[in-house]
Amino acid sequence: MNSLVHLLRRGRGLLLPMVLIGLWEIASRQGTAQAYAFVPLEVIGQGLVELIDSGALLISTLASLQRTCIGLLLGVTLGIAVGASMAMSTVVERVIGPLYHMMRQVPILGLIPLIALWFGSGEGAKILIVSLAAFYPMTLNTFEGFSHIEPRYREVGRVFEFGPVQQLTQVLLPSALPSIANGALHALAFAWVSSVGVELFLSTGAGLGNLMMNAEAGSRMEVVVIGVLCIGLLGYAMNQLFTRLSQHLLRWRDTR
Amino acid sequence: MNASLKQHWLDQTTHLPGSLDIRGLGKQYAIEGKPLTVLQDINLSVKPGEFVSIVGASGCGKSSLLRLIVGLEAQYSGDILLDGKRIDSTSLERGIVFQDHRLFPWKTVEQNIAVALKNHPLTKKEKTRLVAEHIQLVNLQGFENAYPHQLSGGMAQRAAIARALINKPKILLLDEPFGALDALTRVHLQRELQRLWVQQRSTMIMVTHDVEEALYLGDRVIVMDARPGRIKHEIHVNLPHPRERHSPRLQKLKDELLTELVGSDHVEVAHV
Repeated sequence: MNSLVHLLRRGRGLLLPMVLIGLWEIASRQGTAQAYAFVPLEVIGQGLVELIDSGALLISTLASLQRTCIGLLLGVTLGIAVGASMAMSTVVERVIGPLYHMMRQVPILGLIPLIALWFGSGEGAKILIVSLAAFYPMTLNTFEGFSHIEPRYREVGRVFEFGPVQQLTQVLLPSALPSIANGALHALAFAWVSSVGVELFLSTGAGLGNLMMNAEAGSRMEVVVIGVLCIGLLGYAMNQLFTRLSQHLLRWRDTR
Repeated sequence: MNASLKQHWLDQTTHLPGSLDIRGLGKQYAIEGKPLTVLQDINLSVKPGEFVSIVGASGCGKSSLLRLIVGLEAQYSGDILLDGKRIDSTSLERGIVFQDHRLFPWKTVEQNIAVALKNHPLTKKEKTRLVAEHIQLVNLQGFENAYPHQLSGGMAQRAAIARALINKPKILLLDEPFGALDALTRVHLQRELQRLWVQQRSTMIMVTHDVEEALYLGDRVIVMDARPGRIKHEIHVNLPHPRERHSPRLQKLKDELLTELVGSDHVEVAHV
């Protein structure tokens, strides 16, 4: 009995999805028109097997993931650099700040035509967009993190004759880490969403977005559903990974 | 030896490690453009190995004095000399324990104490041994891998003391180190500090609100007055260590000190 309760508690996150899947199946059996909108589970299953067999699912997933990773790396690195320097130098903040805040207000979707014009519609342009999507939240959060470092810890560093590099690694960076981790989490979400989304606009190359678009053109709604599920599950998995990592790095925090 | 050589030799020996000389110290802050005199004409000499307590009303510049000695504030008039050298910035030779322990929250107890040795020329092995030694010194064995948020106030302050002592500073400053702790912990840590001081005999200057604490620990008690901060009175506590809290002489000195501190308030009220 205890183990059943324990199992139920572990699986409570699956309860709602299970209910929705059940409702979905019921809806799909109401008629042919409904079967188009709510693709029967059986058809989805068949489509899944086909995609895995042909390797299309793997290729699309890897392509989207690769773009996300590269874009994240670039966006996060640049974001930390710019955010930190804006927080620690008024000169930098006055020079870069206004431009940054202005650009931040423009939705990236609006920038895509311009970027496509300047950089073409290849992988490079897509990575640029993903980097930008990651850059904005990363910079903002890093800026916050470095702006709120308590001077009393810096004084401790001074008492122990810390040089500027030591101040950075021993005091500033760890102190700003909670904000940086928060920024990275947001950057991840934006990067993933825009990685798939950008394929809807610049539809060359492989990726989950492309997979879904082509499927829609061929009226294969089950592939669209599979695509959506994949995007959701992968995004969730990456989010979990980042969260666990940041929990480990921030284990020193008082979580009360 | 000829006259100049002899003078040079004399100069060397009169400056033993850890002797502090403050002459005519003055400190002003600018508050909304107007200068506020925080310290005025402070003259104080601390002999090597001496324990000096400083008491005084709020606003008498006690903390500012300590910050100037440790080098966190660099602008002042007059002279602060440690072993004959003027103080103008922080140094490993001068340590400080703050009222809020200021342990880095992102480091364990062991790492926090070790961080004091970052700029110290020792091998890694020696540093590890030294850190372990100091953890034992303050009775924190078993808590090496604890984070500050997991420690009680008393334990964290003990770690802060270990961190301040590990560099064997010539002079250790303590800014109301036990002010944030409950009464029982305070008594316990006062005894610990006395034990440490007797063992290490580093020069120590402690600022405190607690008159009994000042007398229990100090060789001398300096009383400061506020607005502007200046030295008003000095008491020599001629009692051997370790001290009895309830000895008649201590209690008599306590009465004398309290009168000094409280008495000045009466005078001010009378003027108004």
